[in-house]
Amino acid sequence: MPQQQLNTREANLFRTVVRHYEDKQYKRALKAAEQILKKNPKHADTLSMKALVLNAQGKPEEAFSLAKDALTIDMKSPICWHVYGILYRTNKNFDEAIKAYKFALRLEPDSHQIQRDLAVLQIQMRDYQGYVQSRFVMLKARPHMRQNWTALAIAYHLEGNLPQAENILKTYENSVTSAPAKTDLENSEAVLYRNTIIAEMGQTERALEHLETDAKHSLDRLAFMELRAKYLTQLGRKEEAAKAYRALLERNSEHPAYYTALTSVLGIPADDESALKAIYDEYAEKFPRSDAARRLPLDFLTGENFRTAAKSYLNLMFDKGVPSTFANLKHLYSDPQKKATLPTLAEEYLAEHQGGQDGKGQANGDSSKGKGAALFFLAQHYNYYMSRDLAKATEFVERAIELDPQSVDFHMTKARIYKHQGDLAKASATMDYARSLDTKDRYINSKAAKYLLRNNENEKALATMGLFTRAETVGGPIADLTDMQCMWFLTEDGEAWERRGNYGMALKRYHTIFNIFDIWQEDQFDFHTFSLRKGQIRAYIDMVRWIDRLREHPFYFRAALDAVKLYLTMHDTPAGTNGVNGTSGKNANGEDAAERKKALKKAKKEAQKAEREAAEKAAKQDPNKAGAQKGKEVEDLKKKDDDPNGLKLAATTDPLGDSIKFLLPLLQFSPKNIEGQLVGFEVYFRRKKYLLALRCLSAARALDPENTRVQEQAKRLREAVGPTLSSANAKLKEVIESAL
Amino acid sequence: MDIRPLRPDDIPLIQHANLENLPENYFLKYYLYHALSWPQLSYVAVDVSRPKRTPYDYPKIVGYVLAKMEEEPTDGVQHGHITSLSVMRTHRRLGIAEKLMRQSQLAMVETFGAHYVSLHVRVSNKAAIHLYRDTLGFKTEKTEAQYYADQEDAFCMKLDLSPIREQIREAAAESGTKSTKDGATGEKGTPTEDKDEGEPVGDVGRDPKKDGAAGKEADTKVKVKVGRALGVGELVERDESKHS
Ligand SMILES: CC(C)(COP(=O)(O)OP(=O)(O)OC[C@H]1O[C@@H](n2cnc3c(N)ncnc32)[C@H](O)[C@@H]1OP(=O)(O)O)[C@@H](O)C(=O)NCCC(=O)NCCS
Repeated sequence: MPQQQLNTREANLFRTVVRHYEDKQYKRALKAAEQILKKNPKHADTLSMKALVLNAQGKPEEAFSLAKDALTIDMKSPICWHVYGILYRTNKNFDEAIKAYKFALRLEPDSHQIQRDLAVLQIQMRDYQGYVQSRFVMLKARPHMRQNWTALAIAYHLEGNLPQAENILKTYENSVTSAPAKTDLENSEAVLYRNTIIAEMGQTERALEHLETDAKHSLDRLAFMELRAKYLTQLGRKEEAAKAYRALLERNSEHPAYYTALTSVLGIPADDESALKAIYDEYAEKFPRSDAARRLPLDFLTGENFRTAAKSYLNLMFDKGVPSTFANLKHLYSDPQKKATLPTLAEEYLAEHQGGQDGKGQANGDSSKGKGAALFFLAQHYNYYMSRDLAKATEFVERAIELDPQSVDFHMTKARIYKHQGDLAKASATMDYARSLDTKDRYINSKAAKYLLRNNENEKALATMGLFTRAETVGGPIADLTDMQCMWFLTEDGEAWERRGNYGMALKRYHTIFNIFDIWQEDQFDFHTFSLRKGQIRAYIDMVRWIDRLREHPFYFRAALDAVKLYLTMHDTPAGTNGVNGTSGKNANGEDAAERKKALKKAKKEAQKAEREAAEKAAKQDPNKAGAQKGKEVEDLKKKDDDPNGLKLAATTDPLGDSIKFLLPLLQFSPKNIEGQLVGFEVYFRRKKYLLALRCLSAARALDPENTRVQEQAKRLREAVGPTLSSANAKLKEVIESAL
Repeated sequence: MDIRPLRPDDIPLIQHANLENLPENYFLKYYLYHALSWPQLSYVAVDVSRPKRTPYDYPKIVGYVLAKMEEEPTDGVQHGHITSLSVMRTHRRLGIAEKLMRQSQLAMVETFGAHYVSLHVRVSNKAAIHLYRDTLGFKTEKTEAQYYADQEDAFCMKLDLSPIREQIREAAAESGTKSTKDGATGEKGTPTEDKDEGEPVGDVGRDPKKDGAAGKEADTKVKVKVGRALGVGELVERDESKHS
């Protein structure tokens, strides 16, 4: 049944609703909507608009039920379907949103808005075919806009149809009669985009030609120069390629790949050390401040050549008092001879500078000069895992400290030495002392907090972090660190809680990290339209491809692995010991039961208090308060946390089930990381999903057949399938047995 | 260290470096906003010598400069702005910050026709002030009282980029192949920013400014040609700025 028509006055009112909504004047929008509804209580479009407003005010449930009412009144209203889709979209149910948009579009095929909303969701969901279709329709409707051509090209490109992508870009270019201005950034980028597509098709010859003609005046000079050098190299035009790489080195002599490319096109044999070195020397001379030109030869020089070059490099760095010298050279230690030479050179330097310069330094990252720098180098040398001698490391660091007792860097290394000695308490106390020497430097503050966490001092670590987080953030430092997506802290904090046996807090942190990855995944959404307008298409494509493998990131892997392992522990620990209180039965780190009980009580109280406060705030909330603040408050309200200490998470009755959401992305995005496969086996094995367990096991075995855990898992699986699998599962048994 | 332009997949570790080194932090989305608006301007210093431990290791970022063009310059002059710069303490004094800055400055001129670059720095930050003023030649414009969240004052600094413009012009003249009025460095060197009024990309992070200029940024950007009375669809775009 279609809805009734509005009279002119009400139709105007309806437009007002829309406008107020656009302006985020939600109260006013609601008022106007109510006015219409008073006379036309069953006006579906108005009901839908009202739903949209409620949704914006952070009341998704009300919004949904209203939008459903509206749809039952008028199934044929495109507005109702469109709103329904928007609600789904803001609630992140993209599949349903796409369906709703498609309905809306069927009812109003010419609606540009609906088409565009649909298109954005299609690309968000990587429905490339759908996206091509949508962008095609949009291009047909508005062919005068370059964006629409570029968008269709992007759609084809991502779908894998490169020739068609290029074709679309070319068609647009050919249709333009007047030459675009050289300062036209959109044009410049679109042309370079086309160039990269040509190259991606493997047509290097044509790519070079296109680059040198159509893209000659590209505003991204670096990209132009790099692409040109690459194409020339690929085409074997070595002389020109060498020139191109020289031009790049003039621009940036700190990019090692340019040197290797240059020496390679020059045909210098890899073992001709002096010829190679001559190239680097050229740039070292030309750019007195270049580090790479001086340091990189140390990678390939050997024997006496190495010794000479290393000595002059070390002398330079020590004289300048660069504390980062060791960090810049330690990769050389994979070569035993270099590992042996470097410390002797530092010793030589010390001998040559006996009683010489003073070791006075300045604050903030600058503490070692001359002798101090050499002592510091040696301390780090003996602390490094490949050349470790902790007694000697201590000796050198103490000598350095004697020279400059206020040096943050020296004390920082001293703390590291303690850590390697296994004395976490001393390590953390020393790092905290280093922190106190420069309270304005957040780096040393972060390190101090990290060392506290390693020593299971979560509370003190958080307080330390709190010295640099924003004081105003509701919820204190942890809320700020969560808001700011401070992954390392969340991970280390979770791990420390886990070691202390507080599984609730640990799970809380791991889930927070999981959620941040969801946010990151979401973050791309606005850029599907934004980037078309900005015209930086190559960067956009890079982003899309990156987001596709977002969860392979080590940040995800570590936290997810922690979570899965913890859920496994919870499953294996007899029930009751990790019950509702969020702490484990095992008595880690001497926290006795009474203390845990106390902590639990406190946590509960805090949770209640937070809930109360949030409720009060909600009550006081004026949804139409002007300015950005309002949006923020709605956000705050939305993200009110009803389980700040992870009590609910720890109270799960199905830890294995809960682990799955962490596990799947591990297996999907990091299949070549054996740790993921190993825990995957453990989860599936316990759930008696033997085929899935087998799949993990096979993957792990392919990665490292000698791994003892792999062998042990194989044995367990073999033993398990023997008696458990009845003849009904003969097939399964056969598969598993033949695989083992 | 390897100095190169940032790529989107560097962002988590850039954000990490920022959180390690500075109290002014941002959501990942704010980095994306830079990376997708002015990809030519931000650079990273990468430790390429680290051996990979898994196939999924990401290059370790030891320093970065996050830079942008001012979207609505109050003085009407195209210019760049340094949003954030930092180097891990373990890699300081190697010249990394200087090199990051120089690469960014060059691209500001080449790609976006910038006339100058501006930045804020804490009045107590000796290392950074030395870098900006003595090494790079920035001049202090003014002091902004209590600019930072903890009430510290900021120096507002500027560097005139005309030497770079001059350099580019000379190089072009020398090579003789290119017109002297090369691209964005020409006098009317305003790239096609007119088409782009800056679109809402939502809440992107926290600005160093105490009252959160990130919000401001999003706000100014919301006032964009979003068609009125076009029906519901057009609304969605604004909606995005809040929800995603
Ligand atoms: C400021 C910072 C980015 C400098 O990075 P860097 O890579 O060590 O700097 P560079 O090696 O390029 O040094 C550039 C110049 O500054 C000088 N400098 C660097 N650190 C210094 C210090 N602690 N004290 C005095 N001068 C210093 C260098 O000697 C060099 O000077 P020169 O040209 O006379 O030789 C770094 O210290 C840092 O990340 N600090 C914390 C974050 C921060 O403050 N960022 C700036 C916010 S605006």
